[in-house]
Amino acid sequence: MRNAGFILLAWLALLTVRAADSVSWEITPAVAGPGQPFRLQVRIESDVVLGPADRVGREIKPPRGMALRFSGQIFRAGTTEATLNFSGVAPEAEGAHVIPSFNIRFPAKMIQVPIITLNVSNATGFRKDGQARAELELPDRTFYVGERIPGAIRLRGSEQEFVSGSFGLECEAEGFSFQLLGDRAQPLDNDQGLLTAFELTPIRTGSSELSLNGIMLIQVGVTSAFSSPSRDRPFTFRRRINVEHVPEAGRPANWNGAIGKFLTDTIQLSNLSPEVGEPLRLRAILAGEGNLERIIPPEIMGGENWDIIPTTERRRRAEDQRIFSYTLIPRLPGKLLTPEIRLASFDPETRSFSQVVFAPQEVTVTGTAPAKVDLIKVDPRAGANGATTKPLAGLATPQPNLRSVLSPPVASIQPLAASKSFWATNGILFTLLTLSLGVVLTLSYLSAHPEILAHYHARRSCRRASRQARQAARAQDSAAFARAIVAGLRIGSGALLQAKDQALTHRDILRVLPDAPLALLEMLFQVAEGDKFAPRPLDTLLTEPVRALDLLAQLEAKL
Amino acid sequence: MKLKFLSLVFLLLSVLTVVAEPTVGEIAYAQGDYAGAVEHWQEQGHRDGLTAPLLSALGNAEWKLGRKGRAVICWERALLLDPRDTVAIAGLRHAQTAGGIERPVPSWSENYSAFLRADTWLILAGVSFWGMILCVALPKFRPQNRSAWYQRGLVSFATLLALSLPGLWGSHTYAQRAVVRRAEVALRLTPTAQGEPVSGIGEGDVVRTERGFNGHTRVQTAEGKTGWVRAGEVEAIWGGGLPANLDQKAAP
Repeated sequence: MRNAGFILLAWLALLTVRAADSVSWEITPAVAGPGQPFRLQVRIESDVVLGPADRVGREIKPPRGMALRFSGQIFRAGTTEATLNFSGVAPEAEGAHVIPSFNIRFPAKMIQVPIITLNVSNATGFRKDGQARAELELPDRTFYVGERIPGAIRLRGSEQEFVSGSFGLECEAEGFSFQLLGDRAQPLDNDQGLLTAFELTPIRTGSSELSLNGIMLIQVGVTSAFSSPSRDRPFTFRRRINVEHVPEAGRPANWNGAIGKFLTDTIQLSNLSPEVGEPLRLRAILAGEGNLERIIPPEIMGGENWDIIPTTERRRRAEDQRIFSYTLIPRLPGKLLTPEIRLASFDPETRSFSQVVFAPQEVTVTGTAPAKVDLIKVDPRAGANGATTKPLAGLATPQPNLRSVLSPPVASIQPLAASKSFWATNGILFTLLTLSLGVVLTLSYLSAHPEILAHYHARRSCRRASRQARQAARAQDSAAFARAIVAGLRIGSGALLQAKDQALTHRDILRVLPDAPLALLEMLFQVAEGDKFAPRPLDTLLTEPVRALDLLAQLEAKL
Repeated sequence: MKLKFLSLVFLLLSVLTVVAEPTVGEIAYAQGDYAGAVEHWQEQGHRDGLTAPLLSALGNAEWKLGRKGRAVICWERALLLDPRDTVAIAGLRHAQTAGGIERPVPSWSENYSAFLRADTWLILAGVSFWGMILCVALPKFRPQNRSAWYQRGLVSFATLLALSLPGLWGSHTYAQRAVVRRAEVALRLTPTAQGEPVSGIGEGDVVRTERGFNGHTRVQTAEGKTGWVRAGEVEAIWGGGLPANLDQKAAP
């Protein structure tokens, strides 16, 4: 019974044991010469159906100097086996080079590949002559932040191995920006290789490792029915690079980030004879090798002669040129020189600063100067950075509670001229004054000329006497008729003669009315006043009253 | 003797000013709290009335807050109340030199009128006119008491009237000014909403106004350019108190 229990436990233990994955590898050739291409084949046998491997080679970290790339896999559906092929290039150093353990991911499971060792020895007799190889061209010096570092990978072929292409160039580096120049590799001069140019720009200081990996396609010169005429071969470069800031010692104040070797190309002016106030464009073209695109355009001062506005250049950029554009506006007429454009640059090879100067250009400005030129005043006490210590103008200290007796607070700022009451009062006063002045002047005139009123009253008396005479004539009262006519004649004649009317006789009337009939006047006076002295004579006045009334009318006309 | 006494009283009144203790607004201004200073001074203006120093102080605070239009109109109105207000003059000069404000160059009559307030010019002209009238009329009323004083008075008042006429004209043209209250105002060729913009004027710029039409006002800029702007985009310096609040809709 006890044996039966042991047997059962043994069966259970056997059931729980899984079959182990089998991983084997083979390097061809087994011992490689320095720089010799080799092939690594990894075979895997598992207890599950593996399927295709995914993302092979991502975790492979080949040792320094060795290039290793995944080149393909062989698998059959529904089987538990897989074969993965890698191609590589042995390092230049002799010895055992260990490829660290790495994982291969299959759909069913992940399998770990153990450590693989590549033995490199000069004793193999391998010769690199005639073999395609990759070379890195990169300056071997200290680099500077912001610098443009041109680099290239030269893939050299031979008569036996012709380089037909490259792909998969990768850069692994921290603190750098990497950019390929051009869309594709350019053929070398002997047409047996390719050149891939790139550009590095350090973005921070420190020491870091630059790693460049890629694959070149090789056409083998000797082909046979059993060998492929083309193959790919990986290459890898690792370089430790030191990056520093541009030294502060000796750095000019006008250094705007230019690193490289530059020279002035040309300076262009859109108009050599502008008028005052007419804008013209100035283009300064900088050429050379360096970080042209990273240079901050230099500022130029116009002074008293120019107004300067920085502008952006709309022309298409050239690779080895940088154009600085400015709009210049002349302020004064005459022969003027454009401002000098000065630029400081740092040469990373000589580690020294230099100045690039665009010389002033002569411009003939026509026209007349404006009446007032607003010059920009520069305070000589200003600091070197241009900050002024004292503003050109400022606000005064307010005193809001200052009160003046002559300017009391108002609710609204309304002009007195807009006040209707002001103008109404002035108008009324002016009218009253004008009227009263007129009255006074009239009265004064009348008092100075009393005959005007005397004639006026006489005219009224004559009219009244004429009316009374007509009434008396209608009543056939000759005495009343004569009294009215005589009274009128006396008053009118008295005004003209400036005499008392009661004292006038018919002879006095004749002085005023010389054409009046004397007989009629005598009859009028006798009838009017004769009864004071004697019985009234018989008269014929009422037979022709019009003649007497005409005398009054003549007198009134003279008044 | 009497004339000398009156002149002395006038001089004393003109220089007699009353300075009160620093208020909350002044303290806020000194501490950089310009919004608080504006709020306090506006309340003070509503409560106690407006004076030239108060308006110029308000202008300073508004300028510190970056409200150019309100600041310039405060300073211009302070100058209407007191043409020799140093704070307002300094503020406008600062706005022109450092702030880029455009302001029409005053004509000779406007410079002449700046010697006195516009109301003072009008009162002076009115007094001299009536004095001249009386000097002409009184001898008519009292012909028996004609004396040489009437002739002297007539000449004096006539001279005073002649001197005040340019001041009146300058005050009149100065009163036609207005301040641009909106940023980036287009100067249009025609007084319509779709009028072609011929130029631009900025907030705080002072313009001379002419006639109005179709809800627009014809203005002349400091550069001499004329055009039409919407009536609500400028605020006349005469006829108001504190700067108008353009964010609030006008009462119906």
